[in-house]
Amino acid sequence: MRFKTSLLKEPKHTELVSCVGWTTADELYSCSEDHQILKWNLLTNETVVVVKLQDDIYPIDLHWFPKTVGGKKQAAAEIFALTSTDGKFHLVSKMGRIEKSVEAHRGAVLAGRWNYDGTALITAGEDGQIKIWSKSGMLRSTLAQQGSPVYSVAWGPDSDRILYTFGRQLIIKPLQPSSKVLQWKAHDGIILKVDWNSMNDLILSGGEDCKYKVWDSYGRLLYSSSSNDYPITSVAWAPDGEVFAMGSFNTLRLCDKTGWSYALEKPNTGSVFSLAWSADGTQLAGACGNGQVIFAHIVEQRWEWRNFEVTLTKRRAMQVRNVLNDAVDILDFRDRVIKASLAHGHLVVATSLQCSVYSTKNWNTPLIFDLREGTVSLILQAERHFLLVDGGGIYVYSYEGRLVSTPKFPGMRTDILNAQSVSLSNDTIAIRDKTDEKVVCLFDAQTGKAFGDGKPLTHKMEVMEIALDQCGPSSDRKIALIDKNRDLYLTSVRRLGREHSMHKIGTMVHTMAWNDSANILCGIQDNQFAVWYYPSAVCVDKDLLPKTLFTKDGSEFSRTPHILNYVGTQVTVRRADGSLVYSSVSSYPTLLHEYTGSARWEDALRLCRFAKDQTLWACLAGMALANRELTTAEVAYAAIREVDKVQYINFIKELPSKESSLAHMLLFSGHVQEAEATLLQAGLIYQAIQIHINLYNWDRALELAVKHKTHVDTVLAHRQRFLQDFGKKETNKRFLQYSEGVEVDWEKIQAKIEMELAKERERAANPSVRSSMASHR
Amino acid sequence: MAKDPLSEAGLHFDELNKLRILEPDVGQKTTELKEECKDFVDKIGQFQKIVGGLIEMVDELAKEAEKEKMKAIGARNLLKSVAKQREAQQQQLQALIAEKKMQLERYRIEYEALSKVEAEQNEFIDQFILQK
Repeated sequence: MRFKTSLLKEPKHTELVSCVGWTTADELYSCSEDHQILKWNLLTNETVVVVKLQDDIYPIDLHWFPKTVGGKKQAAAEIFALTSTDGKFHLVSKMGRIEKSVEAHRGAVLAGRWNYDGTALITAGEDGQIKIWSKSGMLRSTLAQQGSPVYSVAWGPDSDRILYTFGRQLIIKPLQPSSKVLQWKAHDGIILKVDWNSMNDLILSGGEDCKYKVWDSYGRLLYSSSSNDYPITSVAWAPDGEVFAMGSFNTLRLCDKTGWSYALEKPNTGSVFSLAWSADGTQLAGACGNGQVIFAHIVEQRWEWRNFEVTLTKRRAMQVRNVLNDAVDILDFRDRVIKASLAHGHLVVATSLQCSVYSTKNWNTPLIFDLREGTVSLILQAERHFLLVDGGGIYVYSYEGRLVSTPKFPGMRTDILNAQSVSLSNDTIAIRDKTDEKVVCLFDAQTGKAFGDGKPLTHKMEVMEIALDQCGPSSDRKIALIDKNRDLYLTSVRRLGREHSMHKIGTMVHTMAWNDSANILCGIQDNQFAVWYYPSAVCVDKDLLPKTLFTKDGSEFSRTPHILNYVGTQVTVRRADGSLVYSSVSSYPTLLHEYTGSARWEDALRLCRFAKDQTLWACLAGMALANRELTTAEVAYAAIREVDKVQYINFIKELPSKESSLAHMLLFSGHVQEAEATLLQAGLIYQAIQIHINLYNWDRALELAVKHKTHVDTVLAHRQRFLQDFGKKETNKRFLQYSEGVEVDWEKIQAKIEMELAKERERAANPSVRSSMASHR
Repeated sequence: MAKDPLSEAGLHFDELNKLRILEPDVGQKTTELKEECKDFVDKIGQFQKIVGGLIEMVDELAKEAEKEKMKAIGARNLLKSVAKQREAQQQQLQALIAEKKMQLERYRIEYEALSKVEAEQNEFIDQFILQK
């Protein structure tokens, strides 16, 4: 991935250019100290003077009024804020007329930025003040006052906080007056530029110590560059937050969001004082010290999937290479490519007007449909359909180009959704809410409606990353999420009238990904590379989970790696230094998933015997139990030497009725309540009481017995024996109360129990004959 | 010689018997002086002309020299700046090389990882064949 830059032979401005700003992806305004504002049209390659300002206005910063206002779209920006050295800011129309000039600061106004919906403008001055203005230029408040000039200022993602420079320090200040201010020393020299991206919530800073750094919004350093040759005069995030650009003397650099540099350009520009990305993130413009305006766009972006390698060769062309036979296809597009995604056998390319879908089987005839809105900010793919996110909404399309659904929830802001906060599977869409980061909204992908009663999944912590599993029936759909503490949780998407039961399956998990062809989860846990071969085991038998976990040393991934994808048996990991590292995972678990998914238990057993792997046996045990395949489960548990469980399974197998074996299987998985409910529903009250007795759950046992007026003496007898065994005295008031009126006679109790069991056997005999005949057929 | 009354009166006759107020000797000498003076003035004039030419020439030479000097200084400066330019270019190229080196390192790591995967897969295949 690199920049392709273009620079005119002769500069159009006679003095240094101080600021640039895009109106559309093809039109740029630039301001210079020669008092001219120029308009650059990239389609016609024309440059016209919009206006020549008065001789005493030396512009410093320019920011276009944001296009989106309360969800309503304007075709293009109409007005921009221009700050100047004389302490004023000016609201200038597209035609170059100064609508309003406002005396704002003493000394120069060094920066002016609109918030995301354009309701407020913030200015920072040489006098060390930061002021907030209304849309029409009325002073709202002076937010901060300090002893040194504020060189740069940026809004936080929700526009509820601002970030500004104070000498060598950075300060994050919430707009609410009482909130805590975050301040830290960021550089060894004066900080010249900052930027804050709303998609990934990361902060960029560049300063006179010739370094640029990436921070998270808590002020933690994520990346610090080595010292460059010249001070960093400008930094700018691409709108999608995946890359950023850095400008310095004769230098333009393209960097990944994790800080490492994709490419370096050394154009003859002088210092690059300001950088601006177009709203669709395809174009970059830089204001140069020698009067030039440099334009750049990204080329050689690459996508890989199995044996295909797609490269963006030009703005409107891609090259597809099939690695197996070296066949090369060239794909041409009518417009600039904005986003693309290659997975599940399909390449989805979004240009500024259209979306093209290619099948990897046929590169000649794409399916093309028009897009409602220009700038697609995210493409996610599942096996059956894909999801597009643009400024207006979320759309699920089938690979045939049919619009499947458009999920919505109140307060949805699509402009800040990224791959970590949205997940797609064949039947489900999960979206992490921005207003409350603990909440994950779940939608049916086919209808776009929220699941169940519409109540979203609520976690106890802020959720950082979500991922849906990709395979299996939709009733078993699971969602994995990483919260702020870096704990990995797994829960079922569909819940049956209860709260989501969150199972913690990992700690210190930095990154994770589901396999594309089986429900296998991989992640990087602390310093280890971990693969959960069968994460759902946690719902069946919690003790199994550690046994199904495959770990290996992750030192080759170095610090803070990121899993890009997990396709087939190959995991692709991006290291912090930008290099790609591959790791292969055994293919047996995938096979096992396939066999058990299609109920081929014999094959599954054979596979496990062949592989002789304990983890595999543990997976099989879990899978068999989840599918109530007791014979297989017994073999598998025996293989992993869980004698107690084998015994219990044997016990279950010998149970007389279907209901009680079901109940005991539930009990096996630790679902006591469900087991009890199953038994009570079947009228097996004694059995329900007995399970509570076995669990020493005395109160509930007595409660059931009293409620159903049966077996009170059984409960009391067991309780007595228990107390005797442990040499304790009865202290429980209820037991004391009931034991008064009840005589404990073991013989009678035994007889009663026998009777209950016989009754159950008898009752089960008739329907079970029928069902066994059905199963024999 | 008898005193000539005329001469006493201050009048004289010259050889051509013309009446003169000045004594013939003096007259002759005066004439001679006049001639000499004229010669002198002529010579001086000539000299001035020659000197003027010389001065002009020298001036021109000076100008030329000055020009050459400036040229030399310019050339020297240019030379210096070329060196600086080279330095800057070198720096730029160094930066680009460093960038490429980093990229190379990334590719090396990627290659190593892929080699490892390949080795693992080969091992798996061997094992698989053996077990069968």
